[in-house]
Amino acid sequence: MVSLEDLSGLQTRAEADLAEASTVDAVDAISSALLGQGSPIAEARRGLRDVDPDERRELGRAISEIAEAIEAVVDERRDVLAAIERAEHLAADRVDMTLPGRRPQRGSSHLVRQVWEEVVDIFTAIGYTVASGPEVETAYYNFDALNTPPTHPARLESDTLYVEYGDDPEGVLLRTQTSPVQARWMESHDPPVYIVSPGRVYRRDAVDATHTPVFHQMEGLAVDDNITFADLKGTLAYFIEQFFGPGARQRFLPNFFPFTEPSAEMHTSCHVCGGSGCRTCGGTGWIELLGCGVVDPFVLETAGYDPSQVSGFAFGVGIDRLAMIRYDVPELRYFFDADMRVLEQYR
Amino acid sequence: MKASLRWILEYVELPTRDPEELGEVLSNLGVEVEGIETIETQFTGVVVAKVLDVNPHPNADKVRVATLDAGGDPIEVVCGAWNFEAGATVAYATVGAMLPGGFEVGAKEIRGVVSPGMICSEVELGLGDESDGILVLEDGYADAGTEFASTLPYPDAVFDVSITPNRPDAMSIHGIARDLGAFFDLPVTVPETSFDEDGSSNAVVRIEAPDRCTRFTAREVKDVTVAPAPLWLRLRLRDAGVRPISNVVDVSNYVMLEFGQPLHAFDLDRITDETIVVRLAEDGEKLTTLDEVERTLTADDLVIAGVDEPLGLAGIMGGGDSEVSDTTTRVLIEVAHFEPTRVLMSGKRHALRTEAVARFERGVDPELPPVASARAAMLTAMLGEGRVVGGFVDEHPRPPEPVIVDLPDHEAERLLGVEIAVDQQVGYLTRLGFGVDGTNPMRVTVPTYRPDVTRPADLVEEIARIHGYNEIPSRLVIGRGGGLNEQQRAVRAVRSIMAGAGFYEIMSFDFLGLAEIQSLRLDEDDPRLDPVRIRNPLNEEQEYLRTTLLPGLLAGLRRSTQRNRPNAALFEMGSVFLRGDASLPDQPEHLAFAATGARSESPLDAAGDYSVEDALGTVEVLLGSLGIDATIKQRSVAGLHPGRSGSVMTDGTEIGVVGELDPDVSDSWDLNGRVIVGEFDLALLAPGPPVPFVVPSPYPPVVFDLAFDLPNKAATADLLAAVEATAGGDLERIVVFDVFRGGPLAVDRKSVAVRLTMRSAERTLSDEEVAPVLSRIAERVSDELGGSLRGG
Repeated sequence: MVSLEDLSGLQTRAEADLAEASTVDAVDAISSALLGQGSPIAEARRGLRDVDPDERRELGRAISEIAEAIEAVVDERRDVLAAIERAEHLAADRVDMTLPGRRPQRGSSHLVRQVWEEVVDIFTAIGYTVASGPEVETAYYNFDALNTPPTHPARLESDTLYVEYGDDPEGVLLRTQTSPVQARWMESHDPPVYIVSPGRVYRRDAVDATHTPVFHQMEGLAVDDNITFADLKGTLAYFIEQFFGPGARQRFLPNFFPFTEPSAEMHTSCHVCGGSGCRTCGGTGWIELLGCGVVDPFVLETAGYDPSQVSGFAFGVGIDRLAMIRYDVPELRYFFDADMRVLEQYR
Repeated sequence: MKASLRWILEYVELPTRDPEELGEVLSNLGVEVEGIETIETQFTGVVVAKVLDVNPHPNADKVRVATLDAGGDPIEVVCGAWNFEAGATVAYATVGAMLPGGFEVGAKEIRGVVSPGMICSEVELGLGDESDGILVLEDGYADAGTEFASTLPYPDAVFDVSITPNRPDAMSIHGIARDLGAFFDLPVTVPETSFDEDGSSNAVVRIEAPDRCTRFTAREVKDVTVAPAPLWLRLRLRDAGVRPISNVVDVSNYVMLEFGQPLHAFDLDRITDETIVVRLAEDGEKLTTLDEVERTLTADDLVIAGVDEPLGLAGIMGGGDSEVSDTTTRVLIEVAHFEPTRVLMSGKRHALRTEAVARFERGVDPELPPVASARAAMLTAMLGEGRVVGGFVDEHPRPPEPVIVDLPDHEAERLLGVEIAVDQQVGYLTRLGFGVDGTNPMRVTVPTYRPDVTRPADLVEEIARIHGYNEIPSRLVIGRGGGLNEQQRAVRAVRSIMAGAGFYEIMSFDFLGLAEIQSLRLDEDDPRLDPVRIRNPLNEEQEYLRTTLLPGLLAGLRRSTQRNRPNAALFEMGSVFLRGDASLPDQPEHLAFAATGARSESPLDAAGDYSVEDALGTVEVLLGSLGIDATIKQRSVAGLHPGRSGSVMTDGTEIGVVGELDPDVSDSWDLNGRVIVGEFDLALLAPGPPVPFVVPSPYPPVVFDLAFDLPNKAATADLLAAVEATAGGDLERIVVFDVFRGGPLAVDRKSVAVRLTMRSAERTLSDEEVAPVLSRIAERVSDELGGSLRGG
């Protein structure tokens, strides 16, 4: 039979033992020795059966008090040690956060493609449909339907890549512009027409800073009742504002293209210097951006439209050129160079 | 073309002489100014002097002593040039004169004779390239002592203008003046063309190709002395970028620049029988042009010929034989009109882009030849001290019909979107030289110098030019279509999935060389080995159109490797070109990818190198994201590793191939490690239809593992298909978690272990319910694949 005096000494022993304990496990061992099976407390509780019922309640309460007191100091010590152990564990788990991480693979779409999609989105947002057509094209759609006479210099072998296909040596070619898409579209659709046609075009140019035999263009075409040069100006102003940001000014200079009349070259104020003159704009304050004009009556007629009833505007812009201008890419050839050092820059 | 402001001002008195302001006006008129050069005299203290006497130097043989009248007392200067004698007029730099380059002239002793100042050459004054001898001015140039700089046409501004192909009229100083006159509403004068005639010429012209030469004029000037042209003319040509040659040649260049009408001066004594024949060349006929190149002509070339041999390539360049030389005294001035496009084609064929071609190809005013001829004759007679001979020849087989265009009064507004009053429109057109009758429609007579104007739209452009493009309002019109179609959205989805999967998009040229396509080890009858050829390729490497995107990607991997970036994952989307039945080649758009090297740029990741599992995983992600239900069919794909390649199949159709490149192909592209590739027809990557939503089950799953003992060659896809087909609708998920060979297995067997997750949407499944499913699976795998459940 454990005496109450013995038990009360337990608390003192517990405090002493716990002070010695340096780990949570040691605390648990002490706790088990003092409070668990076969411990003096457990013995004392079992001994209660033999105690006079009158004393049992009081003795029981006393045992519980002692047990609770021991538990309290055990818990207290365990909390302290647990906190220390947690801190030690986490400290040991430290990682140099400045080491390179384990990356999911990163890739990107091509810069020219990003610009391509952006300009397409600018026009689909105002009700344009995206049209496409074949890259190997007939001379008819690339030239004849667009008012380019058989003797026009653009047709010369020095400028156009002809394809050996079919009987006519000058009948099939790599399209030199995306305009044949317009001709094809108008042939199979009645007005109103609001299309953009982005795509690859080809010229017989050797690679230099500003030429590659393959590049990308987007043509826009609107044909409807009452389409005028004023609509062309407004549409291009919207486009430039969306692409280069607000504040850009445009100027339109008379120019010549076989498929538009009147024709114009659009210049936009330099987005770098705002028009005061810098390296990007060659000191002029203006950037020559695109060719445009009112659709030539011949083109409308060829498509089966009545040029006295409907009118239209068309423009063509170099997608690669837009990318070069906005991202300050010095040479066109970089776009066709599968060099990881280049590709990684496309975000 | 270079256009001097002073020269322009000879024809029109502009309200401003500010070059920047006028440059802006010209650009806005469609005569685009690409640059403005300011020319100023770069010397001071130089005066006009008369040489009174020239004597030998007392102590030197190579220099002389000249006595000059420079407006004061005679001055003796030492001079090393021998191209002048007493009586010559020269430019004398006084002591203290500043010459170009900051050179100050002093009094210098030369072999015992002090020379106060010097007589200058062209080069020393920055007035030309001639350094051989001093600048000898024409007699009576100016009074002795006149400040030389004050006699020169400087300062001047020279516009560098770019003329569009439709504007032959603007290829001349007078034409530019005419446009400016129209803009400012000012009169423009016509250059003087008066002279007396003496005698009658015997020259004969015969046009044998009237469709190519619609007009030919000839005029003789006799008793001409060929000599250097006067300084003003030489400077004018120099500032226009034309090299001065002699008075006769310089006059023809001057008149060409002035009117935009090319012309040619022949030595009449060198033309047999004084007869000129305009005819097509004979195939193979030879002509040595002025640039001393012997050219072989074709029957498409038009020549100006004598009775026997060609004298020049019509409208392009003269020949050496009939050229005006120092000894020429009888000059025949040829001014003709040629059919524009044939001049252009001929010029291209002979790679000759002369000033004459640049004008004729645009279509010169057919009424200009007599005017330009008269102007040239007057100047030649004047500067060469000769006399114009009568009997002007003007062969004019095809006089142009007048062009009259009816312009409705609202047409300009209909096309431009701005209202311009009729009288304003009439004003603009009249100022540009158009004749206008009536108001609606306006009956417009087009001047012969504007062959580009034939229709109302052309007139509207003229009205817009003068009104000002920038005066037209700006209005945004909204279309009536919009958005991308399903296929366009799918293409974008494919691109972003590939980029998300770690691949970089490239854009390569659509060309390849035969060697590249042959390096792919394709089957002999593969249509990709028979690419469509470009008839006029830039080079051998770009001779054919690509039939697969792989060469571009492999070239990219190789290039990256060569640039010390051996880890690369690339993709491209673009057309390939294959022979088909239609009039154009089949041009399907493909997606292809290729990767090699380490999967991660960070060696710490220990991610290993790309291998076929990555190719498969990429395809799984791609197809999974698009919602395309596809399977891989293992087969040896030509060009790929025979044991690591296969077809991607949907509904029994191959939509693409995937695998590792055949190691020999990798070798031939200088790629050392494994190269994974895949290529798809984009049209077949259309996203699947919308799939109904599956409500997640609230009940717990039953998960169990099955390991099968299978023949080595059994396809895991077939095992999974068999399991799926048997497991019933409660199969939620199946994953392969272990594959091994050896150990307890027979030599030609393998173990494949799968973990099945079964879950009912309606209740909690019990093990008892699942047990019969397991035995059915085991049975099926045994039947179909010759496999058995291990440990079962």
